[in-house]
Amino acid sequence: MIEVQGLHKRFGSVVAIDDVSFRADDGVVTGLLGPNGAGKTTSLRILSTLIMPERGRAMVDGLDCAKDSLAVRRRLGVLPDARGLYPRLTAREHLTYFGQLHGLTGEALERRSGELMRLLELDGVADRRVEGFSNGERTKVALCRALVHDPPNVILDEPTNGLDVMSTRAVRTLIKELKAQGRCVVFSSHVMQEVAALCDRIVVVAKGRVVADGTADELRQRTGKDNLEEAFVQVIGSDAGLMS
Amino acid sequence: MSAPGLLSGARTVLKKELVDHFRDRRSLTSGLLVPLLGPVLFTLMFTVLADLSRKDKPLVVPVRGQVHAPSLMAFLERNGAKVEAAPDDAEQKVRDGKLDLALIVPEGYGRDFVAGRMAKVELVVDSSSNKARANVRRMERLLEGYGAQLGALRLLARGVSPTLAMPVHVEEIDLATPERSAAAVLGMVPMFLLMAVFIGGMYLAIDSTAGERERGSLEPLLINPVTRAQVVLGKWTAVVLVSWVSVVVSMVGFSVALRLVPLQDLGIRAQLDAGPMVAMIAVALPLTLFSGGLQMLLALFSRTFKEAQTYLSLLMILPLMPSMFISLSPIEPKTWMMAIPAFSQTVLLNNLLRGDAITPLWHVVSAVTTLAAAGVAVGAAIWLIGQEKIVFGRGAGTS
Repeated sequence: MIEVQGLHKRFGSVVAIDDVSFRADDGVVTGLLGPNGAGKTTSLRILSTLIMPERGRAMVDGLDCAKDSLAVRRRLGVLPDARGLYPRLTAREHLTYFGQLHGLTGEALERRSGELMRLLELDGVADRRVEGFSNGERTKVALCRALVHDPPNVILDEPTNGLDVMSTRAVRTLIKELKAQGRCVVFSSHVMQEVAALCDRIVVVAKGRVVADGTADELRQRTGKDNLEEAFVQVIGSDAGLMS
Repeated sequence: MSAPGLLSGARTVLKKELVDHFRDRRSLTSGLLVPLLGPVLFTLMFTVLADLSRKDKPLVVPVRGQVHAPSLMAFLERNGAKVEAAPDDAEQKVRDGKLDLALIVPEGYGRDFVAGRMAKVELVVDSSSNKARANVRRMERLLEGYGAQLGALRLLARGVSPTLAMPVHVEEIDLATPERSAAAVLGMVPMFLLMAVFIGGMYLAIDSTAGERERGSLEPLLINPVTRAQVVLGKWTAVVLVSWVSVVVSMVGFSVALRLVPLQDLGIRAQLDAGPMVAMIAVALPLTLFSGGLQMLLALFSRTFKEAQTYLSLLMILPLMPSMFISLSPIEPKTWMMAIPAFSQTVLLNNLLRGDAITPLWHVVSAVTTLAAAGVAVGAAIWLIGQEKIVFGRGAGTS
């Protein structure tokens, strides 16, 4: 379970997030939707313990991200904004490296890596260096790497960004699978269809604030619009930076 | 599932960095081939030099007008020179470097000589030619010797002691032991060893810090349940190991080079036995700990991979400066100077190479201060790597 209360963070004179609060339960897919620059990535980086908020708290399974960062990281799988792979390592070596950093070893690690790569259809290229991989394959490797330690909470920053149709489908299937396993899934996107198709709950972020929070139906009801897209535009106040 | 302990976490990072590094051709070139550059240069330089000044070669003296000075010719022959007739275009040949020198005895030589006047001979040389210098010097010494001998004879013939004409007699006492003159030549060895220290780990230091950030892989790496200290210690150990390899490669390269080069032809006795070699590697080791830490610190601080390369290339010049300075103006090292990393190693490496007596205190001071400096650099790198601005790059992170 992930809970964020009144997060505030500035970089120099720029306020990246002003006041962000939301809650993401286990077994639920929570979407962070907002235009580029709304503060989604900063919020997720605070959750992944790499950035300290100036005000507010971020909690993972009741642990404070600022104080218990190591314990939080153990319970968290993160697909960051930048996928960040090592060109000269193979897909399998990426999983091994991160698995070992999580304290996994030997057969358990091999089994888990194999499972994940089969699930995301990477087994054909598992022992190739990732430098020749397509965008889709890279994202899949980064996803497997984020999940290698079987984390109860999963944070995905724009997981389908730049992917082709087949890879997008694979990622969607994976997200549904993670939900079915009872994990807490938070993902950010500026693609509305993505959020509409996958999320049980939608948190709309604009200009560093949460402007709407609820199910797709609740959003439609609140704005009086039948069309989700128009509902979004209404709560954000403009359609700048959104992709339908 | 338990988090890895400090050492096993660092070991995982270390293992990955080494695997990654050795798959990279560029890094292999900089780590292994560049340290060999010194020994190769050394071999080439001294092979050529030794060829040029081989002393067993007789001095060939082309002479025009041999008939005018038979006693001079006899003197030259007696002193091991080979007198032959000079070609007509001797001046041109000297200018072109085909002849080192030519001696011209003018027609009036015999007349002046008999009359006791100053008899003139002309020595044709090109003073700008390095190749000819040694032979010209030999020839000049022969001519001076002939002149001095004749002068002494003439004074004796007139009942005057030749010592009267020599109020001051300069006798050179050469105190240089063979090891010392060798050290002058071998001064380049420590310089190249220090270069190997810095260049060996340089690429890995950049790639595992600035490179890691530029690839975007620093963020996912730091989200793992390992501390900054574990990450930095793992990477630093990898950098240090690679730089050790460079030092050892360079050292072995030099010992092979010293065997290949005919240094004895240059009048230099130098060799590197296993003992001094191991001692030299041991002196260089603390410096690799420091250089690795400092390189990582600077690379972390740089905005980009390229910027890091610029900083670290400049950094590499610093440790070479003491070597250059010492070779230009030798100074008497003091104990406090051993507290300066890189400088102290330069002095100690030179001492070992020269076969001077070892001052244990110097070695202790050098190692302790260099290790302390390494600790500070690594500590600063650990602090720096967790900074938001360092992880995400300065000026980034507004979305």
